[in-house]
Amino acid sequence: MLIDEKLFDKFGVEFSPGEIVFCEFEPGNEFYFIQSGKVEIVKIINNREKTLDILETGDVFGEMAILEEEPRSASAIALDHVKVLRFHRTNFDTLLHGNPQLAYKLLVIFSKRIYDAKRRLMILLLDDPQAKVMDVMNMLAEQDPHIDMQEAVTLHITIQDVANWAGMQIAEVQKILTHLNKLGKIELFNDRIIVRNIKDFQRLVNTRRKNMYS
Amino acid sequence: MSNGGTSPASGIITRSYKPGSIVYFENDKSEYIYVVKAGLVILTSTKPETGEEVKEEVKPGEFFGVKSSLGKYPREETAQTVKETVCLVLTLADFERLILKNVNVVVKMLRIFSNQLRRIGRTVREVLGESNTVNPEMELFKIGEYYYRVGRFQQALYAYKRYMEYYPDTKYSDVAMKRIREIDSGRAEENVGSGMSMDMPDEPDVPDTRESGDVDMTDFSLDDSGPSSSEDMFQDSNDNEESIATEMDEFLNDPVDSDLESFSFDDEPAGETASGTDITEKFYDAMSSFSQGNFETAKDLYESILEQKNLKNDSEKKIYEKAHFEIGRTYYKMKKYKDAINAFSLLLKTFPKSENVKNALLHIGMIFYDTGKNDKASTYFQKVASMEPKDEVSRNAMKYLKALENK
Repeated sequence: MLIDEKLFDKFGVEFSPGEIVFCEFEPGNEFYFIQSGKVEIVKIINNREKTLDILETGDVFGEMAILEEEPRSASAIALDHVKVLRFHRTNFDTLLHGNPQLAYKLLVIFSKRIYDAKRRLMILLLDDPQAKVMDVMNMLAEQDPHIDMQEAVTLHITIQDVANWAGMQIAEVQKILTHLNKLGKIELFNDRIIVRNIKDFQRLVNTRRKNMYS
Repeated sequence: MSNGGTSPASGIITRSYKPGSIVYFENDKSEYIYVVKAGLVILTSTKPETGEEVKEEVKPGEFFGVKSSLGKYPREETAQTVKETVCLVLTLADFERLILKNVNVVVKMLRIFSNQLRRIGRTVREVLGESNTVNPEMELFKIGEYYYRVGRFQQALYAYKRYMEYYPDTKYSDVAMKRIREIDSGRAEENVGSGMSMDMPDEPDVPDTRESGDVDMTDFSLDDSGPSSSEDMFQDSNDNEESIATEMDEFLNDPVDSDLESFSFDDEPAGETASGTDITEKFYDAMSSFSQGNFETAKDLYESILEQKNLKNDSEKKIYEKAHFEIGRTYYKMKKYKDAINAFSLLLKTFPKSENVKNALLHIGMIFYDTGKNDKASTYFQKVASMEPKDEVSRNAMKYLKALENK
């Protein structure tokens, strides 16, 4: 995307590897646009640092700050030498008027994030632990446009990841996955899960969801 | 269902629908975005928490189908007309073209989207049993503790410093200070570059407990013949700070140190004097003293920061700038109002773009408030309350304005 050269002079900031851009729970007034380098978005969950995302050139982060000041929901840490544009909420309108492309990009980002957040919520609202675990796999399969739902699906996730998405204890997730493994529905590895028939999972979860509301 | 028609001027398709027509069904996949030109569309969706049906009207001039098209995911609602309705049907490319010419529409949508995202986030936290009333102050400290324990001192230092910056008056500030010193002394190089660029929200005491009786008015000639209305004083937002600073000068008759006016930052290394060794540490010591009510010590430390001439890097320059505000705040706490006004005035003149300008104006208002100059106080509070962004400082100004009404 074309960004006015002058913008970098005015709003450009650089971070070295390991440097925190902002920290979970500090008040947020600025949002960032990555010009180069990688930024890791992390959150401390149950005394463990969990990576939520790794963002690259062209990505935007800290965008919740455009509305009003609220504590950051995650931390952003530079993974390598990072150049960003940093905008304060007060510059937001001016910035967008000068850069309608950025406005459009933000609109796309927000649309995706709202969907992802809602999708996650749908998982959490399920009342059956097994359905939750299955729906995490459904969600991850849906997110990858290259996945052919008719075939066996390989998801690069760990048990810990599934537990985080489902908002469940690892032990419980482990039990369910082991059970599904025994039934031949999935193949369980340390770093990945292969789902034999994801359509099956989708059907099961949809039925469960319908029954829940009725 | 529809009569397609292409408007020759724009190339955008216009479609007419009979009452009760379905524009699209939930779960359909399509990249079209619609604008109601005439008539009325009802969007029906299911609330994920309860399964209940939610209906939303889309009136002429309004968009629908935006999020699912942009995010490339299935429709989340069914769109149906209730009257004879005409819609513009936009492809993503049409939409982008249109939007680029009407940024105001995007800004409006972004605010709506941002609100929706917040709401969903809140629901997620509720479902997970995470309290929405988490105390960010405590949590920020805990982030520092986490990184400290796992030996990632650079990250720990950042969190502790932020904690001290935002919550200097709180219960873990002593521990945070201890940790900062510990890390600093072992790994001094990590001081550099841990930028300090955020606002510092300041929660003043509740205004209605002030006693004006114990104010020493003898050396404080706050002039009542100030501006008669806020318009006089704040004609142009660009020179607000200047006019206020000038006003300060006038009633204080106290020339600003010209050294500071012409002060320029250079990149020469700091002098080798003991006082030049660590401005950062001094600043945090000062904040720590302030938080413990040792205002005299805090003031001395800020003073010595302000005497500093060779600032090593951006981080130090930022501290130097912040110290201008902090010393004013310290004088305010010591009820040395004249010194406080001088300090804030200097900040407004020297760093008119400082993040603390608004807070400095609030404090000037508080000084007028405390000394019974209610009209002037009101002018400042109104100014602060009108300044973007609407943050904690604005809210404090509002509180004071309320207190003034009841005074």
